[in-house]
Amino acid sequence: MSEIPKVTDSNLVEPASTPGSGRSSEWSETLRNAWSFGRTKIGVAIFIAIVLLALLGPVLAPHTPTEFVGAPYSRPSPNALFGADNLGRDVLTRVLWGGRTVLGLSIAATIIGLGGGIVFGLIAGYARRFVDETVMRLLDVLLAFPQLVLVLLLISVVGPKLWLIVLMVGLSHAPRVARVTRAAALEISQRDFVKAAEALGESRVRILATEILPNITSPLLVEFGLRLTYSIGLIAALSFLGFGLQPPAADWGLMINENRVGVAVQPWAVALPVLLIGILTIGTNLIADGMGRALIGIERRADV
Amino acid sequence: MPPLLKLILIRLGLGALTLLLVSVVVFWATQALPTDTAQAILGREATPERLEKLREKLGLNRPVYEQYASWLADVVRGDFGDSLVQQDTPVTKLLRTRVVNSAALVFVAALVSIPFSILIGSLSALWRDTKFDVTVSTGNLALAALPEFVVGIGLVLLFATNVFRVMPAVSRIDPGLSLLNQLDLLILPAATLTLAVAPYVSRILRASMIEVLESEYVMMARLKGLKGPLVLWRHALPNAIAPTLQVIALNLAWLAGGIVVVEYLFAYPGIGQSLVDAVANRDLPMIQALCLLIAAVYVVLNLLADIATILVSPRLRTGLR
Amino acid sequence: MSDEMKKIGEIVVRERMSRRTFLRGVGATGASLALGPLLAACGGTTTTTAAAGETTTTTAAAKTGGSLKVGIVGGSAKDTLDPGLSSFEPDNAFVTQLYDGLMGLSTDYQLENRLAEEVTANADASMWTARLKSGLEWHDGKPVTADDVVFTFQRVLSEELLGAPGLPGLKPEGIVKVDDMTVEFRLDQPNAIFAEGLAMRYNMIVPVGFDAAKPVGCGPFKLVEFRPGEQCTFSAYDGFWRGAPKVTDLSIIEFADESARVNAFLSDTVHAISQVPRAQVAVIEASPGHEVLRATTGAWQPFTMRIDEKPFSDVRVRQAFRLIVDRQQMVDQAYAGFGWVGNDMYAPFDPGYPSDLPQRVQDIEQAKSLLKAAGYESLAVELVTSEAIGGGAVAAAQVFAEQAKAAGVTCTVNKVDSGVFYGDQYLSWVFAQDFWYTRNYLSQAAVGTLPTAQWNETHWKDDEWQKLVEEAFRTGDDTKRNELIRAAATIEYERGGLLIWSFNDQIDAHSGKISGLVPDKSGIPVGGFRFHDAFFV
Repeated sequence: MSEIPKVTDSNLVEPASTPGSGRSSEWSETLRNAWSFGRTKIGVAIFIAIVLLALLGPVLAPHTPTEFVGAPYSRPSPNALFGADNLGRDVLTRVLWGGRTVLGLSIAATIIGLGGGIVFGLIAGYARRFVDETVMRLLDVLLAFPQLVLVLLLISVVGPKLWLIVLMVGLSHAPRVARVTRAAALEISQRDFVKAAEALGESRVRILATEILPNITSPLLVEFGLRLTYSIGLIAALSFLGFGLQPPAADWGLMINENRVGVAVQPWAVALPVLLIGILTIGTNLIADGMGRALIGIERRADV
Repeated sequence: MPPLLKLILIRLGLGALTLLLVSVVVFWATQALPTDTAQAILGREATPERLEKLREKLGLNRPVYEQYASWLADVVRGDFGDSLVQQDTPVTKLLRTRVVNSAALVFVAALVSIPFSILIGSLSALWRDTKFDVTVSTGNLALAALPEFVVGIGLVLLFATNVFRVMPAVSRIDPGLSLLNQLDLLILPAATLTLAVAPYVSRILRASMIEVLESEYVMMARLKGLKGPLVLWRHALPNAIAPTLQVIALNLAWLAGGIVVVEYLFAYPGIGQSLVDAVANRDLPMIQALCLLIAAVYVVLNLLADIATILVSPRLRTGLR
Repeated sequence: MSDEMKKIGEIVVRERMSRRTFLRGVGATGASLALGPLLAACGGTTTTTAAAGETTTTTAAAKTGGSLKVGIVGGSAKDTLDPGLSSFEPDNAFVTQLYDGLMGLSTDYQLENRLAEEVTANADASMWTARLKSGLEWHDGKPVTADDVVFTFQRVLSEELLGAPGLPGLKPEGIVKVDDMTVEFRLDQPNAIFAEGLAMRYNMIVPVGFDAAKPVGCGPFKLVEFRPGEQCTFSAYDGFWRGAPKVTDLSIIEFADESARVNAFLSDTVHAISQVPRAQVAVIEASPGHEVLRATTGAWQPFTMRIDEKPFSDVRVRQAFRLIVDRQQMVDQAYAGFGWVGNDMYAPFDPGYPSDLPQRVQDIEQAKSLLKAAGYESLAVELVTSEAIGGGAVAAAQVFAEQAKAAGVTCTVNKVDSGVFYGDQYLSWVFAQDFWYTRNYLSQAAVGTLPTAQWNETHWKDDEWQKLVEEAFRTGDDTKRNELIRAAATIEYERGGLLIWSFNDQIDAHSGKISGLVPDKSGIPVGGFRFHDAFFV
């Protein structure tokens, strides 16, 4: 669902149309507002829980992720609380180990996507006219590819390399982030303080970096949450399709791929990673939604 | 030229331009990337003679724009070349039944999901801030977050393997039978796609509906004594749908891409599975054809939505005068 | 572009084809078991009189008629009906129905006559004569004659089809029609196992002017419709020389996805399936009306260590690796127990197989000291694997990596896609895996370990060993040849580059509604795809 840019209410209204009033404190205010929504708190709690699980999991794991604890697909037992996987390794242990890659790669891809998108968006939004038209038109072309298809297109040529996957997932976000950045930058660049800086003869790069960027952090924070949600889905989907992490890595997406055939015998090896990926994406989406609501100043309503 | 027509023509032109650029991207990625295509095909230890021979055959020694021009000329004529994996078989022939299968899946998913989301969205708007609305919005938020394979596997775990065994876990279409005789195989994949799309459409419809319901015009209708549901269906809905056409089109286009994972998951023989296979086998002509096809569906649907929006939106029409 | 791409397609496919192990597929070659009697009387002229066609007489009430549907592993649009190019499982399943060979293999891995009434060799096995059965007819009603046989083998040689490597010493001019029913094969060199080459699937007989697009054969079924990558449908050929098949229609349906295949079977959409995932055996056994067809085979998935590359150029490292493996654990984890432990030697059904050599077992201490002596106290190796090798291969690689830790060896598993694994680096991987089907020793040596072999993954070359094998090829006497084979196998046991940890079972399944399918030792799925023997009960 990654190519649909409308997820949260924040996007129902162009987010950039109402950036905060002040300058530097704007994004912290957004965060404060966002925190006032119950859904944000739930989202943050989920996210922290999963991050902790991923970080501490390896310490808590009862076995090593590659040792054998029973016959392939053996049922849960005291030694292996959630049974064994396709090779007879402990499902629980592999689940505890398998979150790091999902989280790490997704966050890396999101940062790349945001970085690329911001650069393009700022250039387009500030330069306007011809450059704006060209950059946005070119990005529109990339938007015509579903993100997964775009990533697969490039994998097909270079092969399924991890760095490539992170890079490609990131770049597939860039056009979408660029649109938001551009809209926000467009709005800010009309403000007086930008005009003033221009009048003072400051260089464009400097204005972009010191005047415009700091004032569009709020919509970008929302974008970060959204893109992170999508990154998790994409990275896990690639592993699920067999193009992501490779065995013997313990990774949630790969676990689903490896153990799918035994799902009727030993559902846990599939169900646990599916569940965790699902919960994680719900968590990040709740955060994004909360920040989106804070951003467009939807009045606080009954906590959900 | 009437301004409306002019506007539509401009949109059409832009659509064509986007398609052209899409073809450039596909070509560039598969054939003109700095990576040596011949090398990619032959593997890492290809001998220099073999590489040279293959480059010669592929025309890789010609300037890139020449390669592109001749490739595009073939594509425009509907010739995507022969599959690299299957000798002597044109890609178009290999894809024919697959395109039909995928189209059927998308069609069924759209047929279910769009009316369903419109209903849910309208009701949420009508019963704004009630328990129903809150439940729907929470559900939407969760569903929107879930990757489609998570939804699909969830359905498989629930309905096809472990909890209830009432559905087939895989949807292999028998090519010898009509699709209509095996509609049961479409249920789970279509349900997955529906659940993936519905949150977006219903949310946007809710928002747009709220706006319409609060408009003077609906207020007037209400004051005249028209009952809630009637107002909703007869007056509010047509006005609320117009702004959501874009999102509906976007979602249909998304379905064209979303089928990749869903078809793989359910082993459904459509273009999505073809794409996964083609990527694993580096079947370049096949990848080119599929990526172009999926992107074209997106561009065309967007274009149609654009034009439809122009045609139905009173504001835009009057604004032109 | 179309023309260019077509040419490329051809180049690429040929390049890859010629390298892929799939070529070595099943149905390959025959048996010393059968060669025993064949060559026993080598002083004079030998005659094979192996009774063919008398397989499986079942007591169950056989019904004739019915439409049999079989699910097999999905191929691709690349599927072919040309026996000479039949590389993959679907190809194998299809051509087995359409064609037949001069000779073939029985379910217990015995060489048998098929279209040939008799196949005889001269004194030094350098000239072989095949005489056709009388009254054989093609699907189109024309008689099967010596011209067809000559055409078939000329075609195999001139087009370098996959059967060519199995016919060493045969040149186009050496294929001579004697009369309408008889063909002589005059070899450049003696070849005691030439009959095994005749039994290869790739060398099944096709009519003069054969066109794979409109295939005419003389096998048990005629082609109705062929959809590459999807399915192939057949109708019974009443003129089949063993008698008409018991079912009237046959559909062989391809399933790309394992679970799809199993599901189609459990829901009775198909009556039999090939390649049951080991994880699903329990599910099928628990499901009434569905039976698992489990065959012990001589098929193997070795780890291949290049003896001419560090670190494996040191025999101590090779032996250490063989001692690192806990074979039973490997079978249990990677094959879910469906296999039997191997002893680093192939061809376990060969009468020359040294079954009395001690079974090698895990010995980490010994392995460590060997590695230390070789100067590799902490060794890091990369093990290249691929799904394309077959079920259990990637699993075995991971099990090995885990077991290697105990000996201080860091083994990194590098899983690549099939195109890469069997691409141009195939046969140059330093440490990888591969798969082979059941074969006897000399046939295996001819394709896998002799310097002239097409798929010598380990670059095995050993003068002492080579002398023994070459002599065996010239030795007609059973006992003597078996002694030579035994000595050669022992050398590989002591210093070879193959780590043969198991022979895997072939697991298929069929519905209780059908009978007549029996386990096939060759490892060809679903009872060797012998569907003419299958019937509804």
